[in-house]
Amino acid sequence: MASGGTLNAKRESGGIHWRPYLVKLFNHGTLLLFTLVIIYPVFWMVLASFKTSGEFLNNVWGLPSVLDIDNYHRAWELANLGRALINSLIISLGTVLFVIALSSIAGYAFAKFRFRFSAAILLVLIFTMQAPTPVIPFYVLFVRLGLTDSYIGLILGIASGSLPLSIFIFQAFFRSIPNELREAAKIDGCSEFSAFLRVVMPISGPAVATVAILTFVGAWNEYFLPLLLVRSPEIRPLTLAVQVFFFQYGRVEWTDVFAALSIASIPMIALYVFMQRWFIQGLTSGSIKG
Amino acid sequence: MAPLPLSAQRKQQKQRRASLAPYLWILPAILVYGIFKLGPLIGGIYLALLRWDGIEEPRFIGLRNFDKILNDKLTLMVLGNNVEYAVITVVGKIVLSLFLAIMLNQALRGRTFYRTGLFMPVVMSFVVIGILWRWLFNTEFGLINNLLENLGLGFLALDWLGDTNIALKSLTLVDIWKWYGFHMVIFLAGLQSIPDELYEAARIDGASVWQQFLHVTLPMLQPVMIVNVTISVMGAFNVFDIPYVMTEGGPANSTNVMALHIFLRGFKFYRFGFSAALSYVLLTIVTLVAALQLWLMTRVDNTE
Repeated sequence: MASGGTLNAKRESGGIHWRPYLVKLFNHGTLLLFTLVIIYPVFWMVLASFKTSGEFLNNVWGLPSVLDIDNYHRAWELANLGRALINSLIISLGTVLFVIALSSIAGYAFAKFRFRFSAAILLVLIFTMQAPTPVIPFYVLFVRLGLTDSYIGLILGIASGSLPLSIFIFQAFFRSIPNELREAAKIDGCSEFSAFLRVVMPISGPAVATVAILTFVGAWNEYFLPLLLVRSPEIRPLTLAVQVFFFQYGRVEWTDVFAALSIASIPMIALYVFMQRWFIQGLTSGSIKG
Repeated sequence: MAPLPLSAQRKQQKQRRASLAPYLWILPAILVYGIFKLGPLIGGIYLALLRWDGIEEPRFIGLRNFDKILNDKLTLMVLGNNVEYAVITVVGKIVLSLFLAIMLNQALRGRTFYRTGLFMPVVMSFVVIGILWRWLFNTEFGLINNLLENLGLGFLALDWLGDTNIALKSLTLVDIWKWYGFHMVIFLAGLQSIPDELYEAARIDGASVWQQFLHVTLPMLQPVMIVNVTISVMGAFNVFDIPYVMTEGGPANSTNVMALHIFLRGFKFYRFGFSAALSYVLLTIVTLVAALQLWLMTRVDNTE
């Protein structure tokens, strides 16, 4: 195109000059549009949570005239959000610790030891991971084991789903650690397990962070398992608590609902914005390497 | 074979004894996974052969549940809904996220801002997103119809969740909204791994931008394309949260999908055996679809 000699190039130069800018403008315009489509509704949800009911219905687009904290007070009381917040934290942190403990040990074995069926076991894990669990058999199992309505039941349920990917992430990471390190520790008198615990784990921060973020976000946002297993309000996590408004008698106060939704999602969004590189890397890690 | 020297024999013995150790290392994880994931998956087949309401004594009825499923009009309709949901969300997510990834790969300034913003819904719960969108879709006060009317496009203002012809498509919009940033990041990683020399070579050969896309970008994106399609196909056939929170399958079952159907049969109508049987139908479908899709996509690779 542009190789047609100086004459052609000169004639076209006007066009060539501003064409890259047009492309750039189009790129940024499109990206900005699709980013706003994401951000604006969330921003609007937070705005709405500060409006009075009347203002919310009459002034859909505008900013709230005063920051009305009453919505938060009411939502907090009605849905018992303090309790729900603590429950969500217990369940999420419990799951993270449990998954890291189990999957790091297993991942280490898959990475460093040679044993029969190790490849086959890994394959079974990866292939069954995505299979939808039959709901009724799952529920019956939890009832039989007396694990409904308990933190432990929820943690075991959520953890079992995230184990395969976590094991996979850990074993991929441990493969990259040179064997000399563990040999040296063993020569110094460490057992295999204490070499793993004292020498390998302390330098495995990246893998631990990846699994922690992946598991924490999943557990925090988990809806189906609590819906299936939790009956009593004392165990109820945030994802169930925010629905309380729709099971009350009388009119749904949407401004209260938005206050509750903000409480349920803003902490995670804030954490994400501050650590976005880690979050994006962690949440896509299973997909990009796998 | 010559007999091994004593020291080597002892070493071998030691290794054999040590070879039990790895199983101990993986035991806790395998035990939890085996009981809570594989247990219901395998042991649950028995429940699919029962007539059981969860309270009274279960009765063994063989394959009758499966026979009923095959002749059940509602299940057929739900399956149709799920296929439609899968086609729209998979195509929507892939096309949109690939398009945005290509733009983002060029726009250097503000890349972090765009990426952070677009990826944000991934960290949000579907319950929060579902309730928020239920309000956005509200016919009278919702943001969407309000926006359309302000733009003078009032005729486009629809009954998003109340019309049986539209509700399912509205739900796919929400699903696409949550995930397009996620798939875009994965495509972006793929795009950044394509060496510039390939494009230079194509340009020297006189390839247009579109030809470069078809013959360089797309083939080189094959691995991430498989990942993205697999994730979104699996997501579509497992989808529960969005339809449950937003429409509970309504109106008139127009947004009922397999996972929701299974849940409602079990816990609203107390047909535990039938619901369990449905789970295995879904499992079979998901397995077949995943195998077919992987087979198709790797075949394309071989003919390239």
